[in-house]
Amino acid sequence: MANRQTDLLKGTLDLLILKTLALEPRHGVGIADRIAQITKGTFLLKPGSLFPALYRLEEARLISGEWSETPEGRRARYYRLTASGERRLTVEKKNWDRIVVAIGQILEAD
Amino acid sequence: MSALTRLVGFWRTLFSKDRLDRELDLELGSALDTYTARYTAEGMDPRAARRAAALAFGGISQVKDAVRDHRTGANVEALFFDIRYAARGLRRTPALAATIVVTLALGIGGNAAMFSVVRATLFQPLPYRDPSRLVFVWLGQDRIGYRGPMSGPDLRALREGASSFDGFGAIWASSAITLTGNGDPEQLRAAMVTTHFFDVLGARVALGRNFQPGDQAAGPGATVILGWELFQRRFGGDRSLVGRTIEVNESRATVVGILPPDFRLFLPADASVPDRLQAFTPFWPDFENGPRGSLFLRVIGRMRPNVPFAQARDEVSSVAKGIAREIGRNRILTAHPLQDDNVAPIRGTMLALFAGVALLLLIVCVNVASLLVARAATRASEVGLQLALGASRRRIARLVLFEGLLLAMLGMAGGLLTAWFTLRILVAVAPPSLSQLDGATVDAPMFGFLSAISLLAGLIFSTAPQIELFKRAARGHALQPERQTTASLVRRRTRVLLVVVQVALSVVLLISAGLLTRAFIEVLRVDPGFRSATQLTFRIAVPGRYESPAAFNAFAANLQSRLRALPGVTGGGAISHVPYDDMPNWSLTYSPDAPMPPDAARQGDSRAISTGLLEALGVPLIDGRFFTDHDDDANRPVAIIDDRLAGELWPNQRAVGRQISTSVSGMNADVGGNTARLTIVGVVPHLRLRSLVEDFRPEIFVPWRIAQRNPMAFVLDTNREPASLAADIRTAIAAVDPLVAIYDIRSLRTYVVDARATRRFTVLLAVAFACMALGLTTIGVYGLLAHTVAIRRHEIGVRRALGATSSQVTRAILSEGFGLAVVGCASGLAGAAAVAGLLQSQLYAVRPRDPMAYGAGVAVILIGSAIACWLPARRAVKVSPMDALRIE
Repeated sequence: MANRQTDLLKGTLDLLILKTLALEPRHGVGIADRIAQITKGTFLLKPGSLFPALYRLEEARLISGEWSETPEGRRARYYRLTASGERRLTVEKKNWDRIVVAIGQILEAD
Repeated sequence: MSALTRLVGFWRTLFSKDRLDRELDLELGSALDTYTARYTAEGMDPRAARRAAALAFGGISQVKDAVRDHRTGANVEALFFDIRYAARGLRRTPALAATIVVTLALGIGGNAAMFSVVRATLFQPLPYRDPSRLVFVWLGQDRIGYRGPMSGPDLRALREGASSFDGFGAIWASSAITLTGNGDPEQLRAAMVTTHFFDVLGARVALGRNFQPGDQAAGPGATVILGWELFQRRFGGDRSLVGRTIEVNESRATVVGILPPDFRLFLPADASVPDRLQAFTPFWPDFENGPRGSLFLRVIGRMRPNVPFAQARDEVSSVAKGIAREIGRNRILTAHPLQDDNVAPIRGTMLALFAGVALLLLIVCVNVASLLVARAATRASEVGLQLALGASRRRIARLVLFEGLLLAMLGMAGGLLTAWFTLRILVAVAPPSLSQLDGATVDAPMFGFLSAISLLAGLIFSTAPQIELFKRAARGHALQPERQTTASLVRRRTRVLLVVVQVALSVVLLISAGLLTRAFIEVLRVDPGFRSATQLTFRIAVPGRYESPAAFNAFAANLQSRLRALPGVTGGGAISHVPYDDMPNWSLTYSPDAPMPPDAARQGDSRAISTGLLEALGVPLIDGRFFTDHDDDANRPVAIIDDRLAGELWPNQRAVGRQISTSVSGMNADVGGNTARLTIVGVVPHLRLRSLVEDFRPEIFVPWRIAQRNPMAFVLDTNREPASLAADIRTAIAAVDPLVAIYDIRSLRTYVVDARATRRFTVLLAVAFACMALGLTTIGVYGLLAHTVAIRRHEIGVRRALGATSSQVTRAILSEGFGLAVVGCASGLAGAAAVAGLLQSQLYAVRPRDPMAYGAGVAVILIGSAIACWLPARRAVKVSPMDALRIE
């Protein structure tokens, strides 16, 4: 992934992770897969940014990790959203919507 | 993230590091496995799949580092590492570290101590209730800048007319109270007060009660409030004393209250109220009706809550205007906040000293910076290597910063010790005028200040080495040893600049100290107009039974003749005021006209003296005669005046035989009426009786026989060792009357020495600062030149090989050192010229541009620099041509 793409992700990475985990608990690679799949490959999360983000979010008690077994039978750490994580997701989503609207207005202004 | 969560994460990171790391390993391993499995499923062989997965992953250890860096507490972990690293760095160069810590301790400790002193002397609130509401009210004659006490009617007008005040209290510390019975008679330092005085001040009695309005009706001496020290010493702290009577002035006085141990009276120095009074008694019943010319009341007022000072001040002025209308003469009353007024005389001195010590700390910082820059130079290759290996500039900057902060912390610890010691010394040597200095201690605000300046100092002196380090590292010094060429001289710009700054700051301090020293020498040279070397003084309280002027005179004459007859006494007499004592000043309004016009405003200081007094003080007679025993005719009173008054009233004419009209304050013989007509019998030079350095008003001496004062002071001129005379004096006085209290037996010289004490204190501190600055700067210059010689060894060797003589080499080194010193001096001179203006108030008889002080300051720093250059220059001379070859 190019540097420019990482820059695009700055600040929104947390939001993407929280949103992804809102549907169901996933492990690290699962989160990266899901984001890549939905964005059709626009956002490819590198482990170097994904795992620090996961640890940061866990430390902030927005998500919590638990060892569990994958369908393939490997042990992996599954993350799920905590109650405060859900609240945070709602807030962040609203913020994001506002940003999108605002930037849209700027770009469409004559 | 809540603070708690943060804290938990923080501790987890620090203390369950291993467990977290294991979990991280497992998780990343699992993720790697997932990718590997995926590639295998796509048909890769397992080993190729694993390699591809690792590649996609971007390196396990990098990911781990990234995670660790993001954890809370990761910074702290790095912090510990950096601190350990810094500590190791310092241990490698113990001499350097020790030098830095010691100089820092001196600089920081000195500043902290001065901070405490300034706080205690200038900003400590007065120990009374709501002290900010207290004001001191002066009777001001602003035409000649004089301010003094007021009269009873003035106080009454204030009390009745100033509604912004809760009340006014007045004190007069002139009354003599002799304590008799139960041991030796003892003269008490006592004062009369209005019954509300302590209420207005906001002080409480520890035992018993305060004065009540009824106490005043009984008059002075009927009731007393005693100070704690007297209560403990003389009465053994017996609480039943309250309500009982004690014998004072040969009558009985009821002790109504005892003041607490920590009670002290803080009033402006020129109010002439001693701060350690032992007994208080009310004024006489109708003192507020007393003559308007009798000016003796020192008045404090307590403003009502929430009344702005300006309003109170304006009201006091308008009360004065009312009085002026009433009496048809100008009358000015001025109010000053009590705290401001108290500290006004020492504020300039204290702030100047504080500025001086701050400058010293700046020099210390510059010195430390310069030493660290020198070290940074030697470490440039190490840092270059670190940068090349991928260390971030931020991290390296942080390392250097931590090293500085670590030094600052060590300096702070040393500074705390230094401050404690310094304060003990300062408290011990402080002059009486700075008695509040006793309150200066190592306390929380001082510790806060200490920490703040340590941190600031650390930041300041860590900056210079950083600049140096990165400049060098950027120049690609990575793997090369320091180049030993003349070119590196140019690169030492930072350090050269620092030394120049140091020289400049030192010059400022040296010149300031020089100016203050010069001024102090001028003060030492001041001829007060009287001799003090062989003069012994003491005071006696004359018992009440000699109250009538005739009895007082007979007693005094008897005493004087016995004292003069003592072996070794060559002369002596009585005087109302010992020079520079804290007795309230006497002044007279005078005029050459008769009768005295009602608006006469010229004031002179007056002193009552007996026969033989001026002779005992060694005062020469300019014209006329001294007093004789026959100058006791109250109907034809005489006076001796100083040449200043004679010149003012009768320029170029003879004053002896002429007359002046004066008010009669102080004169207690019946001279008749409100004014006296004094015939001048003698003229003497102006005597500096009130202040050594300030020019006060003309002096009028009146004969003791018409103006007695109790307590009376004696001055004896003796050719014996003054101290050995004390026993004889006691015997002689006891022979006249055993109930006379004798106290303050002191050489007159000690009064003169005390009058200079504040200045001596200032000069001592200033000189101490300047000496430290000089020492630091000498070290700074030495360090720089030693470094020069070290890195120019090769070049010097080559020069020697090409035939340079020893003196040429010496000159090369000396010229570099001197060049720095000269540039520093030039900037320092400019700085000193700016600073000297601030010292103006301290500079008695010396101009702020005094060439001698400037010359001496520059000379001293140049000599210091010369010494600092000498050793490196000698080392340079010893470099042989062979050295050059060996280095190659």
